[in-house]
Amino acid sequence: MSVPPAGATTDAPSGVPTQRATGIHSAPETGPGTDAGPDVEPDLALGLDLVAEAGRAIVRNVETVIAGKHPAVVTALTVLLAEGHLLIEDVPGVGKTMLAKALARSVDCSVSRIQFTPDLLPSDVTGVSVFNQVDRRFEFKPGAIFANIVIGDEINRASPKTQSALLECMEERQVTVDGATYLLPLPFTVVATQNPIEMEGTYALPEAQRDRFMARISMGYPDTTSELAMLDSRDTSSPLAGIDAVVTGVQLRAMMTAARGVFASSAVKQYAVDIVRATRSDKDLRLGASPRATLQLIRAAKAQSALQGRDFVLPDDIDALAVAVLGHRLVASSRVLGHQHQDSSPLLEDIVRRILAATPVPLGVSGRP
Amino acid sequence: MSLRERTLPERTLPVRPSPPPVPPGRPGSRRSGSRWPVTGALAVLLLVGMTALGPLLQGTGWWWLMAVEAGAVLVVSAGIRSLGPQPWVVPLAGAGVVVGSVTLLFGGGTGVLWLVPTGDTIDRFRTLVDAGIASVQSQGTPADPVTGILFLLCVGAGAIAVLMDTLALTLRVPALAGLPVLVPVGVPGLILDNGADKLTLVLTAAAFLLLLRVDVLGRRGGRPAGRLGLARPGTGAVLVGGLAIATALSLSVVVPNLPGDGRVGGRATGPLLFGDGVSAMVNLGQDLRSSQAGAALHYRTSAAQPPYLKLLTLDRFVGPSWTARLEPTNTGNTVDAIDRPPGLSAQVATTEESTQVVIDGVASAWLPTPGAATKVSGLVGAWYWNGPTGTISSTNSSTRGQKYTVTSLVLQPTPEQLRAATGRYPVSVDSSLRLPRNSPLIIEQTARAVTSGTATPYDAAVALQEYLRGNEFTYDTTAPVADGYDGGGVDVVGTFLAVKRGYCVHFASAMAVMARSLGIPARIAIGYLPGSRSSNPIEGRDRFNVDAHDLHSWPELYFTGIGWLPFEPTPGRGTVPSYTQPTGPSIPLGGAVAGVPSTAPRPFNDSGQALPTGGGSATTPGSDTGTPARVALILGALVIVLAVPGGIRLLRRRRRRRDLARGTAGGAEAWRELVDTAVDFGVDVRATETPRELAARIGALPGLTGTGGAVAGAALGRLLAAAERHRYGRPAAGAPQPELLGDLDTVSMRISMGASTAARWRARLLPASLWLFLRERGRAPVTDA
Repeated sequence: MSVPPAGATTDAPSGVPTQRATGIHSAPETGPGTDAGPDVEPDLALGLDLVAEAGRAIVRNVETVIAGKHPAVVTALTVLLAEGHLLIEDVPGVGKTMLAKALARSVDCSVSRIQFTPDLLPSDVTGVSVFNQVDRRFEFKPGAIFANIVIGDEINRASPKTQSALLECMEERQVTVDGATYLLPLPFTVVATQNPIEMEGTYALPEAQRDRFMARISMGYPDTTSELAMLDSRDTSSPLAGIDAVVTGVQLRAMMTAARGVFASSAVKQYAVDIVRATRSDKDLRLGASPRATLQLIRAAKAQSALQGRDFVLPDDIDALAVAVLGHRLVASSRVLGHQHQDSSPLLEDIVRRILAATPVPLGVSGRP
Repeated sequence: MSLRERTLPERTLPVRPSPPPVPPGRPGSRRSGSRWPVTGALAVLLLVGMTALGPLLQGTGWWWLMAVEAGAVLVVSAGIRSLGPQPWVVPLAGAGVVVGSVTLLFGGGTGVLWLVPTGDTIDRFRTLVDAGIASVQSQGTPADPVTGILFLLCVGAGAIAVLMDTLALTLRVPALAGLPVLVPVGVPGLILDNGADKLTLVLTAAAFLLLLRVDVLGRRGGRPAGRLGLARPGTGAVLVGGLAIATALSLSVVVPNLPGDGRVGGRATGPLLFGDGVSAMVNLGQDLRSSQAGAALHYRTSAAQPPYLKLLTLDRFVGPSWTARLEPTNTGNTVDAIDRPPGLSAQVATTEESTQVVIDGVASAWLPTPGAATKVSGLVGAWYWNGPTGTISSTNSSTRGQKYTVTSLVLQPTPEQLRAATGRYPVSVDSSLRLPRNSPLIIEQTARAVTSGTATPYDAAVALQEYLRGNEFTYDTTAPVADGYDGGGVDVVGTFLAVKRGYCVHFASAMAVMARSLGIPARIAIGYLPGSRSSNPIEGRDRFNVDAHDLHSWPELYFTGIGWLPFEPTPGRGTVPSYTQPTGPSIPLGGAVAGVPSTAPRPFNDSGQALPTGGGSATTPGSDTGTPARVALILGALVIVLAVPGGIRLLRRRRRRRDLARGTAGGAEAWRELVDTAVDFGVDVRATETPRELAARIGALPGLTGTGGAVAGAALGRLLAAAERHRYGRPAAGAPQPELLGDLDTVSMRISMGASTAARWRARLLPASLWLFLRERGRAPVTDA
């Protein structure tokens, strides 16, 4: 079977992944310190007010095509800035892919899109070594994963083998083919979508792999106004055509560096740990959140603070992100799950909210709430 | 699964629901229909509490007056409240009812339309107050509720009703509405030894619980319980408990320390005065110290010199203490013919006098009679005389309500007769020479020293009397109690002779004990001083009023051939018998007489005006203050107790503002003050809430949402930002920001503006933020090392 999503789509500026992959190929085991390749400028930390301004510009840009979904858009941008991966889970046709595409196109960087199907092979994702008859040597053909933003559509339709190949790349940010390791470009973010309702012929992501995603969001249906507006705007042309990049890849990396530098106080860290630990002992949950979840919660909170131009994390950032960051990592106990074959996401999100409402906020340096 | 279906909805409440904006507190206008039960419960509580005054006052008319007054206030207040005016209107209307009704009842038509007081009315009221206070001071219990007292009661009932209504219904703190009732319930405890009736106390407590119950029932289903901080059970319990303890402590400081041993009974309702004689001296001391001088009796006499009225005789020592000899009553000794006093020879000149006595307030089995009675007529019940002790007592009756006429002998021995009285004492008085073993040496030493150079027992007795009346000794009813040597035992006499401060019990006991140590038979008589003359003579006989402050004790010494003769060693009290003044007639003692200590506490005077006791006030000011002053003290203490929470809060606010202004405190301190202010105004603080969420709720308060709220909102935002930076920002953050002071003032003012008057007062007087620390237990701040 042919590979439907092979390679970069028309969205992606061609050549960038190859160059970068080739550049690293000669030194497969380079340490992480050298991941800034010679052709990439060193990371610059942007001023936080600039980060906030750029963030607002991106959100505005994305919202020209996805109206009325501000929280989802902001969370998606937050995850992008926090160097995490995003899982968008919702019913078909609410704009999952549109969001991913709009976000990707708002940043001037390479984008690839993979439509997952049961017969998609791991090598379609990672790339393959091909024998070059002319040079009489094997040559690495990078897969679709070699892009700054990878959109994985309907990720739960792929076979577990392919899924795990993708997820390894997500975690390691590198690809190993035939013993050679190829570093993935930076920034690197996977935006995956999946359909929670349709179960036929799908391979649900195992818990361990869901854990790799920093956050899960769902779009929800648009409200009446937004849906009417959409009818008007989409009547004639594809809205994506009107989207231009508002930040460059270099700027995006500078924003990421700035976000990483945001201060998280002990009180806030304590709060995050308290919440995560509460999920582990909650009687309605069979599986709580992992330490990786704590890490990513803080990272996401830092990114959100940066997007608001604030150089320190607030407990409110944790509150705002906890549902998105923790929800998909939890497994409800059979007691509350019952026999329902429905999607358990709303249930789990409610449990997270309940834990949030019951966890005291540490007082910070001193004093009262 | 049924379990999940049942439990899930509760757990899956939306994240931290913000409560709806707090409605501006205008309690009176909201649910006025349900307030009448609370008014009813208040009325019940007040009416029950007022019955506690019963033992103090005669009759029941005063209670009905107070009930009508309080009822009028409560009904009018509730009626006006149901019209839904501004909350402060209701207490004003209640006060208006008090003023109007008092003017109507007591103004004597001086008011405009009989209701609005004028200058004349004020003058009239002032007279009534003076008369009431004077009457309270001069009357014993139960007092006759004269107009002045009724006026005070009426005003008091009205004021308490207004206060209770305001506390329970305007400020919605019914738990505190119990405090004003403490006034009528507490007053008897100040005056009577055993306080208010136990049943009354129980009923009052029950009525208080009823009030709380009715209030809780009325609140259900309406307002959220969290609207008032006090409505939360935990806080309320802590508050009431704390106030109760504080009040108890302050009262125990304010109320003078009466020596209350269990044997002492109340005069009106308890056991008879001197019922057993054992505690007679202690009893007497209490009567002298009591600020209440109940009328004891009055009499008219034919004698030129008003007589001492003797009740009983203490002539035996049980251990170190004087006691009365209780002999079996000889039923042959009826009082219509009493034997001549023992030992009285015919040579001694006597005159026969008659005295008509009317008992007003004494309740005793011993009959107050002038010494050496020969006949008593007009008594109800069986009364018998006892020759050796010279007392008259009843087996089946008491003095209560008695009117009788006593015929008695007044002994007029000459100094020569007295000096000649040196013969052997009869066997019957031998027991009156005994002293307890281990009597302090100072007694005999002093006696010997004082009487050195005297030749006869009479001269020795006079010397002892002169010594005790001398300038070395001070009359003082309180010092012995304070220094722990009250009573009349020999050990006490030892102390007294060294300290030289005491009252009649000590002087009498000292003289009797010293006389015994010199071999002169001696004993102690307890009874009444002649009292004060009032100026309405009937048949040429002046009326003498005797009250509880005239209780007295004096020594009687035995002289052969003459019998028992009373002496007066107490300086400034009573009259010195003429036979102890070898040179002249008896001298009425008073401040005007030269040579007599001018510290006379209660001089026998002819003005007929009962003077307040003054002896103690010269040495221990404040210990003898009248009841109104004491009530004022207690009310003052209550006010202080009530002001404590608000005061602490005020000091805290000042300190924070000062630190902010100086720059020694940053955003965290400003935020803490803001949160405290919000809490004072009823905003709930939750541990699971972030500052931002709390700020959102503060911003939704009525004062910050209306016109002009935008400025306050911006100030609130700056305060929040500073607090967040200080709390969660980099450790170096949190620089002083004096400009936050202005923001703090802006927001605080807007919060206050949006609140009801009641809420403002509650924030001032009972700031809920003082209890915040209770909720912060175990929430140690997480610091960045």
